[in-house]
Amino acid sequence: MVNVNFEHVSKRYEDGFEAVKGLNLEVQDGEFLVLLGPSGCGKSTTLRMLAGLEEVTNGTISIGGVSVNHLPAGARGLGMVFQSYALYPHMTIRDNMTFGLRMAKGKDRLSEAEINTRVKETANMLELSEHLGKKPKELSGGQRQRVALGRALIRRPQVLLMDEPLSNLDAELRHQMRREIRRLHDELGTTTIYVTHDQIEAMTLADRVAILDQGVLQQHAPPLEAYKQPANEFVESFLCRHLDDLVDTANTLLRSEAQEEVN
Amino acid sequence: MISESTVRRWYVPVEVETLRRWLLVSFIVNLVLLSIDMLRGGGMVLRIGFLGLVAIGLLINTLPEASSPTTRNTSLVLGGGVLLIGLVRFMMTPMTAFDAWMQAWLIGPGALTILWVSSPPVTAWSTRNLSLNAIEYGLARNQRYGPRLRAFGAHLVLLHFVVLTLLPLLWILDIALSPGNALGGSLGGPYTGEHFSNMLGSEAFWTWMRNSLIVSIGTTLLGLVVAIPAGYAFSRYKFTGRDVSMFAFLLVQMFPGIIILVPYFLVMKSLGLLNSHLGLILAYCVTALPLCVWMLKGFFDTVPRELEEAALLDGCNQFQVFTKVVLPLSLPAVAVTALFSFLAAWNEFLLALTFNTSNDMYTLPVGLASMISSTGQAWGDFAAASLLVSLPVALLFLFFQKFLIEGLSAGGVKG
Repeated sequence: MVNVNFEHVSKRYEDGFEAVKGLNLEVQDGEFLVLLGPSGCGKSTTLRMLAGLEEVTNGTISIGGVSVNHLPAGARGLGMVFQSYALYPHMTIRDNMTFGLRMAKGKDRLSEAEINTRVKETANMLELSEHLGKKPKELSGGQRQRVALGRALIRRPQVLLMDEPLSNLDAELRHQMRREIRRLHDELGTTTIYVTHDQIEAMTLADRVAILDQGVLQQHAPPLEAYKQPANEFVESFLCRHLDDLVDTANTLLRSEAQEEVN
Repeated sequence: MISESTVRRWYVPVEVETLRRWLLVSFIVNLVLLSIDMLRGGGMVLRIGFLGLVAIGLLINTLPEASSPTTRNTSLVLGGGVLLIGLVRFMMTPMTAFDAWMQAWLIGPGALTILWVSSPPVTAWSTRNLSLNAIEYGLARNQRYGPRLRAFGAHLVLLHFVVLTLLPLLWILDIALSPGNALGGSLGGPYTGEHFSNMLGSEAFWTWMRNSLIVSIGTTLLGLVVAIPAGYAFSRYKFTGRDVSMFAFLLVQMFPGIIILVPYFLVMKSLGLLNSHLGLILAYCVTALPLCVWMLKGFFDTVPRELEEAALLDGCNQFQVFTKVVLPLSLPAVAVTALFSFLAAWNEFLLALTFNTSNDMYTLPVGLASMISSTGQAWGDFAAASLLVSLPVALLFLFFQKFLIEGLSAGGVKG
């Protein structure tokens, strides 16, 4: 069981800014959770605390029932996809993907043959087989995105973390990758936590969304439920009204087109 | 709406445009040349030169205009004036290469003005009302020749700097290759390799070379070992006294070296490091360190933090993050820093002269200087030695240059 638990977690930076305030959140095994909110709402900080990149000021974060507050990032069994991809520019795609496997110590260490099988498997899954010998700069944005995903997945992580992974892609690719990510999740069943400020991404990807504002959890529910029964004014304006606006815009466009056809 | 008059107003033949720019350059150059004349004593040549400067200044302001024959005639007269003044000065001054070059800055512009102002395109443009078709043709012509003329002008100016840089080198090369010990004289003439074989055969030269190499390489290695971690720490960690020590680093750099020379000497003396390689290596490291640390910090700042975070998640500890991700990405900066330390140590004179007084501990610069006093005026040997000393540095640059360019084109995180 790989569930993730945040208990009264808060984060206060040195300058006194409180990014996350008393967060209680439970992510179930195999769930796809989207952390949604405007920029500066604390969603990235939450993810980074779970990843071990930020220290937890107060409270407990546990993965599979074990507190990870003081565990180094590499020991938490996570895979993470960064917004800027953060591929190692001086390594080939193969080395980028296997770097984490090769860093493993003791009995976690895989044999060379096992590493090769995993590379083959992951590259096939993400259609990267032809690019394994290339450097990141030779790839397009979408391909780099897939390498970043592959690097995270090849370690068979307990939890997959994604920090606005699609915001550097153009609209068409974003659409395509969104479906790809959901498909991979359905296939692998990895517990996934996904940070975004994009309401559409949240609505289409999530099993449940956790909506944050100013470091406080506003609502934690399946996307449709949040849309139909917003817990408060913020959720209503940030999620519901935004989506309604989109629908209105689309309808206006369609109506004017229909009008033209009539004329 | 673009009307016919707009097109008419915008069209100026490329010759006139170019003249306007080039005459301005030659005005500035003549201004400089005039001050050289003044330093040389002046007299008639100076007065005539001043006249030439004024003529060019006038010429710039009276270049031909559209459908205005008067301006064309004025330009022709002034251009002729500049040419004439240049020729007169040419007659009056001695026939040296430098003087000929000086007068060329009057003769050239004058002749070019006459040639171009009297050329058919400019003549037609300044005397008649051109048809739209002709203007269209002229604009196309401008586009074709404009860039070429501009490139030619730029290269002509740059050529002067190249000559200025290469001339001393050529001179040294000539001295090193000429027989005997003549310091001046003209380039060319009989050549000999005796000075080079003198130097290469002398034991002292190789001792100095060995000392220089040990000290320079030692400085580079020790400097890097200290500067790389220091630069990384300054770039990535917040600690008490960080900003103060960064500033202190620069502050030390601001004092002229001679101030610390005596205290340095006393320190080295009490440490027993006079006449040793280690003493110089330590001293050079201290002087080169501030700049090295600043350069490396600047580069480490540009390595995205997310790369390090990705490495942390991949299971690296802090040290592995540094050695496996940050350092390989920073190789170009490390190379520049290494080159800098090496050069600083290789060329340093004052400290080496003060600390290492025994002949067999001389570094190359000190050894070279000692040649002047001890062997009278062995200029040929001296020149040959200078070239030999510069050779490793030049080779190092050639090698690193390729590496640097390769390194700089790597990197890149986002799409």
